[in-house]
Amino acid sequence: MKAVVIGAGLGGLLSAARLSKAGCQVDIFERLPITGGRFTNLSYKGFQLSSGAFHILPHGPAGPLAQFLNEVGADVKIVRSDIITVRVPLKKGSQDYEKGFKDIPFNDFSTLLSHKDRLKIAFLIVSTRKNRPSGSTLQTWIRSQFKDEWLVRFADAFCGWALSLKSDEVPVEEIFEIIENMYRFGGPGVPIGGCKGVIDALESVIAENGGKIHTETEVSKILVENGKAAGVLVGAEAHKANLVISNLGHAATACLCAEALSGEKDSGYLRRLETLKPSAGIKICLAADEPLVGHSGILLTPYAKRVNGINEVTQVDPRLAPPGKHLTMSHQYVAPDNVKNLESEIELGLQDLKEIFPDKKYETLLIQSYHDSWPVNRAASGMDPGNETPIPGLYVVGDGAKGKGGIEVEGVALGVAATMKKILG
Amino acid sequence: MKINDNCVGCGQCASFCKKGAIEVKGKALATDACVDCGVCVLYCPVKAIEVLA
Ligand SMILES: Cc1cc2nc3c(=O)[nH]c(=O)nc-3n(C[C@H](O)[C@H](O)[C@H](O)COP(=O)(O)OP(=O)(O)OC[C@H]3O[C@@H](n4cnc5c(N)ncnc54)[C@H](O)[C@@H]3O)c2cc1C
Ligand code: SF4
Ligand code: SF4
Repeated sequence: MKAVVIGAGLGGLLSAARLSKAGCQVDIFERLPITGGRFTNLSYKGFQLSSGAFHILPHGPAGPLAQFLNEVGADVKIVRSDIITVRVPLKKGSQDYEKGFKDIPFNDFSTLLSHKDRLKIAFLIVSTRKNRPSGSTLQTWIRSQFKDEWLVRFADAFCGWALSLKSDEVPVEEIFEIIENMYRFGGPGVPIGGCKGVIDALESVIAENGGKIHTETEVSKILVENGKAAGVLVGAEAHKANLVISNLGHAATACLCAEALSGEKDSGYLRRLETLKPSAGIKICLAADEPLVGHSGILLTPYAKRVNGINEVTQVDPRLAPPGKHLTMSHQYVAPDNVKNLESEIELGLQDLKEIFPDKKYETLLIQSYHDSWPVNRAASGMDPGNETPIPGLYVVGDGAKGKGGIEVEGVALGVAATMKKILG
Repeated sequence: MKINDNCVGCGQCASFCKKGAIEVKGKALATDACVDCGVCVLYCPVKAIEVLA
C-alpha cells in the first residue's frame, strides 16, 4: 500500500511510523523546514523553548502516547512528574495572592470546602464513576451540585491549563472521561529532550522502515478519483497513493479537496466543520537562576487574573536550559472575544507572574501566542469530529481529530490509534 | 520584510532569526537589526512574513 501523509506534526509522524512499520510505502510532506509542528523544540538564547507544547505528556510514561511510542519502537524516556500543586491565598476569603499564599497538593482541593460539601464530594467521587453526569457543561454541573465559587475557580484553572478552555465551554462528559483517564494512566510526565525527544525518536522509526519525510514541501491539493482519495499534488507534481492522511485538521483538509466535497451529500459534514472552534492561549517563557516552581509537576494558579498554571521542565531535564538556569513557562487561556486584545491579555499575564513570584528574580525570555490557524487546540476538547471524512481513503489526524477524553497529545495519539485500527485492522 | 495580519505571535520566527531582530508581543515586529536575509520567512507556520521586492 502507498500512503501519503500531509504535515509532519505529531499526528502525522505517529501515523507514518505505524504505517511504515506495517510495510506501507510512506511519503510525508511538510511545508516548513522543520518537523514536529506545534510539538518540537525552538532554540532561543540557549534555552529549548517549544513551538507549542509545554514539553509535557498529560499522562506521562503510561499514557496513550507513551504506549503508542512503545508499540512502534520509538525510544523516548518519559519521566513522571512528582506532584501537581495548587496555589491558594493564605487567608480564606482573599481573591488574590497579594496578602500571601500557600501551595496545597491537587488531591487536597476539597479541604477548602465546607464539611458538608466535603462529604458530598467524597460521595460524588464514588457515585459518578458508575453514573456519569451528562448533558451540560462542567460549570453548570458544578453549580447544580455546590454553592462554592472555589470549585469553579479550580475547574477553570484546570480546564485552562489542560485544554485552554473555560469550565463553561467543556462538556461535563469530556471531563469525566478525562478523570477516568487520570485513574487509568496517571498524571503528567516530561519526555527527556523535551518535545523534540519524541519527534526525533519517531523520525528514526520512520527512516528505519523506509518512510521519507520531505520538508519545505507544501501540498496544494488532495487528488480524488472515482470518489476515493488518490494522492496529492505538490507544485505541479502528482503523488499517487491509496491512502491519504492529513495532519491539518478537518477544515484545512476540506479546503484542499473542496471540489470533491461540493455535493449535496457532503453539506452536513461541511456545516459541522463550521462549528469547530480552535482554542487560543498565551505562553510566557521565563528564565531564572533559582527554581520558581520548585518541583517537576504543575503549579495551578486559580487565583491569578489570567495565568492558569506554570511548569518548570528543567526540574526533569536540566539540559533544556543553559547550565545553572531554569526554564519556567506559564499558560493562560484566551477567551474568543479577547483574541483581538492579545497585548492587554499578555500584560495581565505578566502582572500575574509578579504576584505569583513576588520575591523571585527572573527574566522574560519570549511571549508566544496561539490562535485561529495556529491554535492551542484545533478542535475544542469534546467537539472533535472523528478521523474519517466523506472521502474514502482520506483520514484526518492530529488535535483537530482527537480521541475521546484525550487531553491534547494524548488525544492525538488516541485518534491516530483509532485511525490505524480502521486502516490496518 | 513585512509581517502581515496572519501573524498569531507564536515567536517561531524569532527563534530562527540569527540577528535577534524580531520582538514578539501578540504579534511579531522586526527591529532595525533586521538585514532582510529572508530566513524567518520559511519558518512561519501561517505565512505571515512577506519579503519585499
Ligand atoms: C501553547 C501551547 C501549549 C501546549 N501545551 C501542550 C502540552 O503541554 N502538552 C500537550 O500534550 N499538548 C500541548 N499542546 C498541544 C499540542 O502541542 C498539539 O495538540 C499538537 O502538537 C498538535 O499536533 P498535530 O498532530 O495536530 O499537528 P500540528 O502541530 O498542527 O502539525 C501540522 C503540520 O502540518 C504542516 N502543514 C500545514 N499545511 C500543510 C500543507 N499544505 N502541506 C504540508 N504540510 C502542511 C504544518 O507546517 C505542521 O508542521 C500545546 C499547544 C500549544 C499551542
Ligand atoms: S529577514 Fe533575516 S534578519 Fe530580518 S528578521 Fe527575518 S531572519 Fe531576522
Ligand atoms: S512565525 Fe509567523 S506567526 Fe509566528 S510570530 Fe513570526 S510572523 Fe508571527
